[in-house]
Amino acid sequence: MTATTLPVRSRPQAGQPGPLGLARLLRVELRRNTMPWLLPLIAAVFWFDSYRIAATLPPLWNLRAFYILGQGHALIDFAPFVAGVAAWMGSRDGRRGLADLVTTSARSRFAAQFATWAATAIWAVGGYLVFMAATFWALSRSIAWGGPPYWPVAVGAVGVAAFSAAGFTAGAYFPTRFTAPVAAFGGVLACGMSSQIGFASYGGWGLILPTNSNNNYGQDAGIFYQFLPDLPIARVMFLAGIAVALVALLGVRATAGSLRLRHTAAVTAAAGAALAITAIALALTAQVTAYGVVIPALHDAASDRPIPYTPVCGQAAGLPVCVQPAYQPYLADVTAALRPVGTQLTGLPGAPVRAAQVANFFAAGPGALSPAGVGQIARISGRPPVLYLPLGAFNLPAIFGSSPTGFADQIKLETVHAFVTTGKSYGDPAQMAVEAALMRWAGIPVAAQPMQVLAPSPWALPSNGPHPGSTYPAPIAAAATRFAALPAATRHAWLASHLTALRAGQLTLAQLP
Amino acid sequence: MNVELSELTRRFGRTEAVAGVDLEAGPGVLGLLGPNGAGKTSLLRMMATVLPPSSGTMRLLGRDPGSFGPRREIRRGLGYLPQNLGYYPGFTVAEFVEYFALLKDMPPRQVPRAVAAAIEHVGMGDKARKKLRTLSGGMLRRVGIAQAIVNEPELLLLDEPTAGLDPEQRVAFRTLLREFGQRATVIVSTHLVEDVAAACSEVTLMDAGKIVFHGTPGELIAAGTGHGVGDAPLERGYTAVLAAARS
Repeated sequence: MTATTLPVRSRPQAGQPGPLGLARLLRVELRRNTMPWLLPLIAAVFWFDSYRIAATLPPLWNLRAFYILGQGHALIDFAPFVAGVAAWMGSRDGRRGLADLVTTSARSRFAAQFATWAATAIWAVGGYLVFMAATFWALSRSIAWGGPPYWPVAVGAVGVAAFSAAGFTAGAYFPTRFTAPVAAFGGVLACGMSSQIGFASYGGWGLILPTNSNNNYGQDAGIFYQFLPDLPIARVMFLAGIAVALVALLGVRATAGSLRLRHTAAVTAAAGAALAITAIALALTAQVTAYGVVIPALHDAASDRPIPYTPVCGQAAGLPVCVQPAYQPYLADVTAALRPVGTQLTGLPGAPVRAAQVANFFAAGPGALSPAGVGQIARISGRPPVLYLPLGAFNLPAIFGSSPTGFADQIKLETVHAFVTTGKSYGDPAQMAVEAALMRWAGIPVAAQPMQVLAPSPWALPSNGPHPGSTYPAPIAAAATRFAALPAATRHAWLASHLTALRAGQLTLAQLP
Repeated sequence: MNVELSELTRRFGRTEAVAGVDLEAGPGVLGLLGPNGAGKTSLLRMMATVLPPSSGTMRLLGRDPGSFGPRREIRRGLGYLPQNLGYYPGFTVAEFVEYFALLKDMPPRQVPRAVAAAIEHVGMGDKARKKLRTLSGGMLRRVGIAQAIVNEPELLLLDEPTAGLDPEQRVAFRTLLREFGQRATVIVSTHLVEDVAAACSEVTLMDAGKIVFHGTPGELIAAGTGHGVGDAPLERGYTAVLAAARS
């Protein structure tokens, strides 16, 4: 049947549209994306969950960044919203009854969906980066030295992109109005599982999880030694692989475009999956070193070089005290804490002639806080003797409930302990009694010591010693009170003559004056 | 011929929505009439390359849409208004039409002028910056028509295009149809026989997936003389042909 017999009009050739068309498509998508509407809500959650708490932490980049990035709070704040909005955008054509119309367009379905996803991801990742920049700027105003770690920021950014890819792909494959809330809940679930598995994973594949708080931050990373980028690089690979694979899945569908495009998409999806698997394999080779996680295949020896700095110094009863400039806000607290201790120790054999801060060695996993040596507890060593304080291992004021008094008491305890027992163990009853007496003279009442000082002590308490929240065993408390009651000169003279035997564990409680 | 269909069939499970349709169409306006469930929308969706046929052959704009390359070329010259047009509520009229112009692979430099022309064509020039969510059903229909014609299609497929349009808009729309029919193949599926009478040079009547009549509106009117039921001559022809086909 013929409707008409007029000749077919030849359509004028306008030439192949290039990337400019895709760019204009992206511009339209950017202008009408749902993501920016959610950014104020994410900002509120981010402020409440990440910035608000990080700002109360000690003014050190590693601690504040650890809360936001190391524990993955920033990603957790973004992920559910991003996944939900991306699913909403991915399901848009199906929900809106435009599937037929967009199917009849000349541009491949994949290109159109890619533009929609890219706009969503650009808003999400852009928002994340802006929030991080604003957060760093706000936090930096109270931080004396150093800079934030940037690789973990990249992990978060790629993580946000991966969540957007996951949500979008879910929405495109299941275009219903329920996909978005399910994707958002999936984001919560994924982050929750990542954190929970991460809390228990000190090594192995669990390290690859972006909110695994273990092993990626040393207490003094970015201060004495560099933030090791090995693990963040592996995580970027892992998340980027997931994002690439998921976005490529959009191109595998029969309606996505040409056979060639679909083959390319399938290969790209496989490559993305391979990248993610490679990252997991790299995490399995990770070694936890004193300075953080080293992945041999990714490790750059230049990262092992210590960070040069000029210490800032003060005086504590004639004892020069020097700290790393990042810890300058705590110099006054340290000198004030050392002053009453130094006054008692001056002139005694083995008494330190100066105090210097040393790096807190990284440690992770159960039992890692055993008194292994320098870098975890205070030690006195060298000739002339020097008191080495790993302040990064101490409970700095404002770190999860710690107070300036608690910080000062810990310095006193560790200094006295390092002086009496050489820092290797808790000590025998005589050593405990002398330590208790010295701390008493440093301003901590004997009765308060078990509760205030010994509870957070970094070494294991002996079965015959005081227990947190209780009191010293009566004989130790009595000996300590008796020794503390001696005149300073008498006590000093006794220590001068008996320190060697006391340190060697050759004295009993009864032998104390 | 812009449209060449031969023994075209489309099944949905056991239902044969389109049953061996033969149709050829060149430039001009072809009205596609038929009762609900006659297969009009399925036929249009196949011609719009949304649905592949279950069997038969189809050539559109001189190409076989069975493979991707030719199908892409066909889609560049295609305009389609589905029966149930969805929309993005947050888009403005101009953005919506621009979006589909870009999806149709129009050269980006030509897009702004083409978008403006299409919007003017449907009488929505003063609403170009209005969000779609603020428009009435009839206005949305006109926006749908604008996106269908933005690429100056050689094959324009319109499924119930005048649904929701007021009489004045329908008159304007018929003018638009006639104008496009001068240079393109326009296939209009509708229940409104007066639209067909006013704008179409050819009429195809479908029933139960088959074409039961094809001719000019005058021939359809003639078929109903003294037989059909209806107020208008074309309606009488419509009912008479259907009754004959079903007897």
